[in-house]
Amino acid sequence: MSGHASNTPDPKTAVLWDTEYHGHDVISTRSLGFFLYLLSDGMIFATLFAAYGVLSYQHSYFGGPTPADFVKPWYTFSQTIALFLSVLAYGMGMTALKRRSRGGLINGLLGAFVLGVLFLVLDIHDVLDLAAHGITVAASGGISAFIVLTQVHAAHIFFGLLWILVMIYQVLRLGFTADTVGRLLSLRMFWHFQAVVWVFVYIFVYLWGYMS
Amino acid sequence: MSQAQHGHHGGHGHADPILHPEVQMSSGRGYFSGFLISTLLMLIATFLVSSHAAPPFGLLLVITVCAGIATIAQIYFLLHIDISEHNIWNTVSLVAFIPLFVLTIGLTWWMFSQLYLRTMPPMPGMHG
Repeated sequence: MSGHASNTPDPKTAVLWDTEYHGHDVISTRSLGFFLYLLSDGMIFATLFAAYGVLSYQHSYFGGPTPADFVKPWYTFSQTIALFLSVLAYGMGMTALKRRSRGGLINGLLGAFVLGVLFLVLDIHDVLDLAAHGITVAASGGISAFIVLTQVHAAHIFFGLLWILVMIYQVLRLGFTADTVGRLLSLRMFWHFQAVVWVFVYIFVYLWGYMS
Repeated sequence: MSQAQHGHHGGHGHADPILHPEVQMSSGRGYFSGFLISTLLMLIATFLVSSHAAPPFGLLLVITVCAGIATIAQIYFLLHIDISEHNIWNTVSLVAFIPLFVLTIGLTWWMFSQLYLRTMPPMPGMHG
């Protein structure tokens, strides 16, 4: 034991406690909380996918149209590109934030906004086109499940677009504070999460519906 | 709000929120890779499905693999899910979430498919 004597700190100079309370890392705590919210949002989609799964049998369409009759794969692929590019633009905006470039961040947010609006316009055009052919939620259980699932995703895009506008305003007004930067990080998670959900919606609802 | 500007909320002594690891982990190359991989996979899936390149079951298998790889690429490159010290709890929550997601969909689908099998009277034009 005496061998450790040389490592013993000098009681006169040793710092035995921290002089400052560091607290929790607020940005990290909030973004973990927001990530957990996104995962619960994922459970909402799980229930909608389950509903679509059990309502996509032949009898679910009650002899009416099925997704195989009205899904246009290349049209919906253009929505995919709009959404993925919007997500990319947001990501590029966040790399500008890393370089402290306010202009670069605003450009990224604007690009993400415009491409997100394009996605939503294509989606609304599609829904109105279907409605004009009598394909609405009232058509059958199968069509209800299809429309509710795809439009719940579209509603997420709508609220994400509002959030992007709010962040553009806050960044211009307040600059890069701990609060605005934290919100930009949460919005990044939210926006990128929509692309992940869209992969499932596109592959298992649109494409699979088209081929079955 | 004024407190935030002085950086007392930054935590770990980060007066400057830009220096926070979650800001610093943004990478243009990563975002571009995530975009490129998922777009190419969606392109392949769309092409195969619209040209009816294979029988339905084979197609379903291929597009499921496309969706799986695209999801992994997006989760890794866009959501920064990895085992680094800063992201490990996001990764743990996601790993714990996956069985809930799969069981919710899988068990519901299983239950209804068995129910239909046992209760549905054969209808004209219905193949089971």
